Amino acid sequence: MEKVKSPTGRVLIHVALILFSVYSMTPFFWTLLQSFKNLKDANSRVPKFIFTPTWANYEELWLRSLPENGATIAFFLMAALVILVCLLLFAKYIPVRNGVIYGFVIVGFVVLLWAIPRVLDMAKFYDYFINTLIVTVGTVTVSITIGCLAGYGLARYAGMAAVVVLVAALGFRALPRLAFVLPYYWIGAALNLLDTHLLVILTLVAVNQPFTIWMLRSFFMEIPGELEEAAMVDGCNRLTAFIRVIMPIMWPGVISTALFSLLLAYNEFLLVRLLTQTNWTLPVAISRYTGGEDPRHLTLAAASAVSATIPIMLVILFFQKNLVKGLTAGAVKG
Amino acid sequence: MRRSTFFRFAGPSIFIMTLLMLIPLIMAIYLGMNYVTYNNVTQPQWVGLRNYIEVLQDNRFWQSFLFTGGYMLFVVPATMIVGFGVALLLDQVSTFTRGIYLSLFLLPFVIVPIVGTLMFKQLFEPSGLLTYLYQTILGTKFRYTEVSVKVLILLYGLWYVAPFALVTYFAGLQTLSKDQLEAASIDGASVWQKIRHIVIPHLRSLTILILLISTMDAYRVFDSVFVLTEMNPIYKADTVMTYTFQTAVTVLRLGKANAMAILTIVGIMIVLIPNLIQSYRQQVEER
Repeated sequence: MEKVKSPTGRVLIHVALILFSVYSMTPFFWTLLQSFKNLKDANSRVPKFIFTPTWANYEELWLRSLPENGATIAFFLMAALVILVCLLLFAKYIPVRNGVIYGFVIVGFVVLLWAIPRVLDMAKFYDYFINTLIVTVGTVTVSITIGCLAGYGLARYAGMAAVVVLVAALGFRALPRLAFVLPYYWIGAALNLLDTHLLVILTLVAVNQPFTIWMLRSFFMEIPGELEEAAMVDGCNRLTAFIRVIMPIMWPGVISTALFSLLLAYNEFLLVRLLTQTNWTLPVAISRYTGGEDPRHLTLAAASAVSATIPIMLVILFFQKNLVKGLTAGAVKG
Repeated sequence: MRRSTFFRFAGPSIFIMTLLMLIPLIMAIYLGMNYVTYNNVTQPQWVGLRNYIEVLQDNRFWQSFLFTGGYMLFVVPATMIVGFGVALLLDQVSTFTRGIYLSLFLLPFVIVPIVGTLMFKQLFEPSGLLTYLYQTILGTKFRYTEVSVKVLILLYGLWYVAPFALVTYFAGLQTLSKDQLEAASIDGASVWQKIRHIVIPHLRSLTILILLISTMDAYRVFDSVFVLTEMNPIYKADTVMTYTFQTAVTVLRLGKANAMAILTIVGIMIVLIPNLIQSYRQQVEER
């Protein structure tokens, strides 16, 4: 559409957009404020915007006991974190192969996550956080790997089998999760896999697969087929052409799809709630703070909600473009 | 690509979908015909169609079905109108400010639904910000009643789903043909006429897409209702999914819950089958 020219019109447009931003952000900001209040401030009938902030809710959530030399330990942990993030951000400018740096950073994060509960007395919430990481990373890795293979096959094969798979997948996508979860419980009980990460990852991969293959297929369709044909003339077979020629230019599409896969795995409540008894992920752990008689749950719920949202917000800040691209290009949402 | 190569590439994906989607679906139909609780999960007791009949005669099931229908009828059109309106406004501002607005708008969409509802609820706790505003403006206390809980569920639905419609419409607006709009301006068309006769027809296929996806998502709404009602039956705000969940987890009737899930699938099929046939035709044509 043509742009509105009159100054009043433009001001009104921005006012409306700012109001909509406020509407979108209010629940988050209010919860953020509540999470830094002590119980008395948080329960005040007249909303308090000026108060002495406290970390107590976060401490109670994450730590079982506060060590004496906590400040020193926290300093070293923060320093390690900052170094790793800097390496990640500035990998382009370091004269070492990027793959090596990324590998080092990943190993560094794993070591850091392993080391934290050994130097600090972490509470259960940390375990739930680790569970969420394992389930999310596992689901994204498996579903993107098999999804890429299938998406490529579906984009290039012209026979009826591909049509059948695509339409069946579309049908599966629409079905309510609950229809699958109860048989999963049965399978889990029969194979003695209940309460394991493996069962949760496998089932999440399965329920995300229809959406993943549709989206990846639409990205593969954008890549011209001549590309791998040329590579095959030069002596590649299908698989090596796929790995060496197609995948390197597919990264933007893979990242978009992986983001949605990540959101779906990170957000899943129902399936994890029914298939696990102790190995919960964050959404299930947080749902315990809804309602209940314990008055402390008010601020703890706020702190846990903010804790679970920060990682997602960071991911979105880095990959906002890919997310929007995925929303619009594939135009399929889980 | 040859057929055998296709199956080699798509094999793992087809295998996992068959194993963990097709077979569980058939199992769900079968388990729906058994009396199963958590004690006899592996030794179900055959009862034939009794579970299905019991569900169809269950008043609370129909009540939850009606509420789900009402939720769909409100949330789907409301998100489309809000999304379309805001997308039109967003189209007016410069590329740089767009990015900032868009990141803010996307927050409700990416947030964990359970957590988002929890945040929403914090606003309506006795000490919440909106509880206070409600009290000062209307002069009466905000209470959790059947009506207010239902309204909260609808409002949360709008807050959570609108960004999806917004981003999709916004992307659609970027593909509008400038020439057509200019021609309309020269002929003296007003802004409303341009929206009515050029923009809306242009976004028709996207509208159908949003309609389908948000209808399917609204039909299986669970997380927000779970948090806002705390599964308390006095609010009478069960949706089909939360009632099925209760039957499985609180009442421990797994067989009946399975039957209920299968019957809800039959419900969604009414919307889905025409869509599946259409996409099947489309796929065949493309080849």
